[in-house]
Amino acid sequence: MSAGPGGSFSRTQYRLGFWLLLAPVVLWLGLLIILPHIDMVLVSLRERVASRQYEFSFSNYITFFAEPLYWNTFVRTAVMSIVATLLTLMIAFPVSFYIAKVLSGRPKMALFILCLIPFWVSELVRTYGWMILLRETGLISGALQWLGFIDQPVELLYNDAAIMVGLIYTSMLFMVVPLVTTLDSLDNSLIEAGYDLGGSSWHVMRSIVIPHAMPGIMSGCIVVFMLTLGNYLTPTLLGGKDSLWFTEQIYTQFITRFNWEQGAAFGILLLVLSSLIVWAGLKVTKQSFTRVMS
Amino acid sequence: MSEQAFVSDASAEEQEDLACSLLSKHFGDFAAVDKVSFSIARGAFFSILGPSGCGKTTLLRMLAGFQEPDSGDILIKGRSVLHTPPNKRPVNMVFQHLALFPTMSVAGNIAYGLKRKGIPKREHEALINDVLDKVQLPGYGNKRIDQLSGGQKQRVAIARCLVLKPAVLLLDEPLGALDLKLREQMKIELKRLQQEFNTTFVYITHDQSEALVMSDQVAVMNKGRFEQVGTPQELYYQPATAFVAGFIGDSNQYVGQVQEQSGETITLVTEHGVRLLSHSSQPMPAGAPITVFIRPEVMQISMVKPETEQDNCLQVTILRTLFDGARSQLQVETAEGAVLTVALPQTADFHALEPGRSVYVSWQANQCLCFPVPAETEAQPEVAQ
Repeated sequence: MSAGPGGSFSRTQYRLGFWLLLAPVVLWLGLLIILPHIDMVLVSLRERVASRQYEFSFSNYITFFAEPLYWNTFVRTAVMSIVATLLTLMIAFPVSFYIAKVLSGRPKMALFILCLIPFWVSELVRTYGWMILLRETGLISGALQWLGFIDQPVELLYNDAAIMVGLIYTSMLFMVVPLVTTLDSLDNSLIEAGYDLGGSSWHVMRSIVIPHAMPGIMSGCIVVFMLTLGNYLTPTLLGGKDSLWFTEQIYTQFITRFNWEQGAAFGILLLVLSSLIVWAGLKVTKQSFTRVMS
Repeated sequence: MSEQAFVSDASAEEQEDLACSLLSKHFGDFAAVDKVSFSIARGAFFSILGPSGCGKTTLLRMLAGFQEPDSGDILIKGRSVLHTPPNKRPVNMVFQHLALFPTMSVAGNIAYGLKRKGIPKREHEALINDVLDKVQLPGYGNKRIDQLSGGQKQRVAIARCLVLKPAVLLLDEPLGALDLKLREQMKIELKRLQQEFNTTFVYITHDQSEALVMSDQVAVMNKGRFEQVGTPQELYYQPATAFVAGFIGDSNQYVGQVQEQSGETITLVTEHGVRLLSHSSQPMPAGAPITVFIRPEVMQISMVKPETEQDNCLQVTILRTLFDGARSQLQVETAEGAVLTVALPQTADFHALEPGRSVYVSWQANQCLCFPVPAETEAQPEVAQ
């Protein structure tokens, strides 16, 4: 700090600048993330005993565990999300490897942009696109009839496979981007050294490429898992009434039943569930959260 | 080569770890490697020396199997490896940036190749400890790669290859990233390791000092071809081509014309008009354009005209001294305007030399070399400067 007469003044200025720059982040986090969540916790822990009269209670959580429908939907959503994440990874990894390591120059950029372009339209439009393809009077059904494989229209929508297709399609980019980035940073000579020391393609992939790409794999998986678990649009549109996605239960409680207490409890449970699964995933793969997110 | 050739020539083949015949690789119209043939005796330290872009990396990558030659053959221990993928070839490579696997420990890096070779796991520890002892890193097995210094990484990269007992170890300028002091140490260290493991080393570099210090044989490569293959001494004292003479060691180069030839001594006049005597074993017609090479260290400086008869003796003016310890040099200019660089011995006699002073430099005819200027470069003699 300068020792001159302006010293204390510039120090105050510096402080002011620091807080002004920090203000948007603090406001955003505080007003839009932390406060609503604290309020959600408080709302979820009360029970309406009479009009406008509330009491502290765990009844909303007890209802969740007592009612098999809620419980089953919850587990089903978690399992489907994990499966969707793994399938996305399995499809995205070869694509990313091809983009990052096999191609170079213009074809590389072109393919990367091709992965990006579908995300210029909204998720709603993309999901409707799938509905046009999959519905009973849709393109695939029509094509199969025209080719003579089937003799009457077939409904491909409103089942788990349709939900899965939609979820994977929606999540693809969020897996491809971190994977391409980490694979790009893998020095080609490491791959060559892997071969040179006697490794087959499988060994090189398993002992060199995948360990290197692990932070990218995990960050892609975390993002895709979170997006899938919290997705409302795709399961509802492609899965129809039977989709049984947990976000629909939350929606129903808040909007249809006007039971904010129950909805808040579900919301908190979903948050706890996703945090637990991400934590378990990081533990199993021995990755640290800071490294994965950097 | 046919099968019979192998049988009849078995003893000769046994002595060679690596042989290439008419190996070529083109990228479009550009010939990166152009009909290169050579063979390396068992246990030799063989260097390929050349300026960047001369094709030496392409050649090494073909030996390792990362690039397919367009034509020609590669024989390792007498067997063609043209259709052998890199992971099946009995050669290993130390990469330019070493390519140690950062996700594994030192022991993990060394064990990677052992596992792929199918060596039982219980033998790994002994082999790893043994090779770490030999590269003088005992007890480093559990260290992470990022805990090692540059020289230690170097040793691990070599240990990782040598533990597999390859027929040939390929080294792709591995000392390039090290600082000067460490590079000097590693030169001696590499030579020691090569003798200790008794493995054939093929070392590529653009640094002539690395090649000359370590190698048994050096191939000088230029524009995809080998200019000369020989011992470091041969390359230095008997360069076969003008390129080798100019590339190995320092030289004063002048373009000139032959005046006359008597026996193996040529009288020539440089473009500045300086008359010199030079040795030449090949006949040169009078008037033929030639390039003459004079090494700074063959010239003797004297304050007064030497009494003994010298083939070449020039009175020159000192332009400047270039002090570099034992490698100090003197830049001098003849009356005709030709600038020469002369080695300056760091003895008391020459401490008083100052720019502007007149001295004599002298040398014998057989201490300079001359080569005819090839027809295609004749039109642009300034290249030879």
